[in-house]
Amino acid sequence: MTGLRTAARRARTAAWLGWQVEGNWADPVLFAIYVLARPLATALILAAMYGAVRSHGAPPEVFAGFFVTNAFHAYVNMVLVGMGWAVFDEREQYETLKYVYASPVGMFTYLAGRSVVKYALATISVIATLLVGWFALGVRWDWAHVQWLPLLAATAAGLASTLFLGLLLAGWSLVLTRTAMVVLEGTTLGSYLLCGVIFPIDLLPEPLRWVSLALPFTWWYEALRRFLTGHGTLGLMQRFPDREVLLWVGVTTIAFALLARWGYFAFERQARRLGRLDQTTLF
Amino acid sequence: MSQALGTIAPGAAPAVPRGPRNRGVRLFVQTLLARPYVRVVGSLREPTWMISDALFPNLGMCAFVLLYRALKAPASYEALALIGGVLTTYWINVLWGMGAQLYWEKQQGQLQLYFAAPCSRLAILTGMALGGLVATVLRSLVGVAIGIWVFHIQVAPFSPWVLAGVFVLTMVALYALGMTLSSLFLLYGREAWHTANALQEPVYFLSGLYFPIRTLGTLGMVAAGILPLTLGTDALRQVLLGASAHGLLPLGLECLALGGFAVLFLWLASVSMRYLESLSKREGRLTQRWQ
Repeated sequence: MTGLRTAARRARTAAWLGWQVEGNWADPVLFAIYVLARPLATALILAAMYGAVRSHGAPPEVFAGFFVTNAFHAYVNMVLVGMGWAVFDEREQYETLKYVYASPVGMFTYLAGRSVVKYALATISVIATLLVGWFALGVRWDWAHVQWLPLLAATAAGLASTLFLGLLLAGWSLVLTRTAMVVLEGTTLGSYLLCGVIFPIDLLPEPLRWVSLALPFTWWYEALRRFLTGHGTLGLMQRFPDREVLLWVGVTTIAFALLARWGYFAFERQARRLGRLDQTTLF
Repeated sequence: MSQALGTIAPGAAPAVPRGPRNRGVRLFVQTLLARPYVRVVGSLREPTWMISDALFPNLGMCAFVLLYRALKAPASYEALALIGGVLTTYWINVLWGMGAQLYWEKQQGQLQLYFAAPCSRLAILTGMALGGLVATVLRSLVGVAIGIWVFHIQVAPFSPWVLAGVFVLTMVALYALGMTLSSLFLLYGREAWHTANALQEPVYFLSGLYFPIRTLGTLGMVAAGILPLTLGTDALRQVLLGASAHGLLPLGLECLALGGFAVLFLWLASVSMRYLESLSKREGRLTQRWQ
């Protein structure tokens, strides 16, 4: 019990530090603009694209599904990839990673604490995007069709999988030097393409479709479309009933949780062995 | 001075009056060529960056092309998104390779060397732009290849000379904006990084990189009056797609405006560089790191 309390205190301290790192360079208004500029701009791009081709018969419910999943993809961008960036910044930018290791906090707890701020920022981004969609862009759905229980279960699993994969990516960033930048940027863009955030995965080449089906986010996004907007994706995903979609969200999340736990510590051991924890490259 | 030193150290080799070998235009041109050399050679030494710069902007473009496919849009919209996607490579380079470059130099402790050098700062900036442009042209060909071989995008018949002319005008205007941004970012620390980060997607939106800028109505007109990328994208689409580009203004007018942008931003870059250099020296920010 004392151990748990200590871990919680350390995570809280890490979260506070994370907030200072993320937000102390600007006043709150400027910071809010900064946090919201990117996701809102992407949402507006999608809306403008749909606006340009609406007259060609694109169904609004299909677009609403993509708009919603694009909003929720902020968790992947901010939490999953952001944890890798936290490692990279601590080592290369501020040169403080070695001090984190020298402190009693522990890197795993420290990263978990840092993720709290990222979750908070991503949540603000999701809410703002959905509000802009609802009130300004007319992206709406029927609340009567919302299936709350499966929606909450799938969202909990999706959020957990961003944390697990974030830890795995942070571990990998410990081993990589400046190549970490490429990997992190690649993960941001690759996940947008591979998880079928704004299009059905049927449009991907077959080998990529299999990779897509192995990712928890693909299933989470499908669950969001079905249980929140009431319309799933057409094509391949139609073969899976709601129950199976939920099952796959759970299975892939558990699989990635186990992989992340094992992978993070394996990467950390390797980073220590290779002397990468304080290696700066003047990227 | 050299004679005095000669007196102090008898037996040393006769002193030769020393000074910069080249001055004026010759020095400007040498700097102009030296800076891109560093940039091109540097990028060749880091193959992973070459892959990321060539491939990553195109991944986003692929997603947007597939969205048009999912929405059952006419094929011309896919071409439209492809052209915009290829141009994102240039905007990313302008933002990170030009705008934030002096911030990187500051972080690496090299910025003071630039200011101690006897050459013109504008020559350094122009060289940076030239190097970035050459490297980015090669990378953007990856996007073109994806368009042709993966998405089978087709364009209307066009004149290569007109295309080259519009492209050069767009690039001069765009990189002149990059030069202005880099002098503005000179003053800042972490804010430079965050500003560059925050400007990326909003400019994609305001430039209509993935949709006809006409869709934005008045906002599109305003954006075209501020951002050379908006006009450049629209002009290049008009050359390559003809009427399917849903152009904002007549092509000739857009070219004239792009020329105006180029002159304006080059002048702004020179003025702001001088002013901000003196300001950052006064405030002691030129060598400030980790702020």
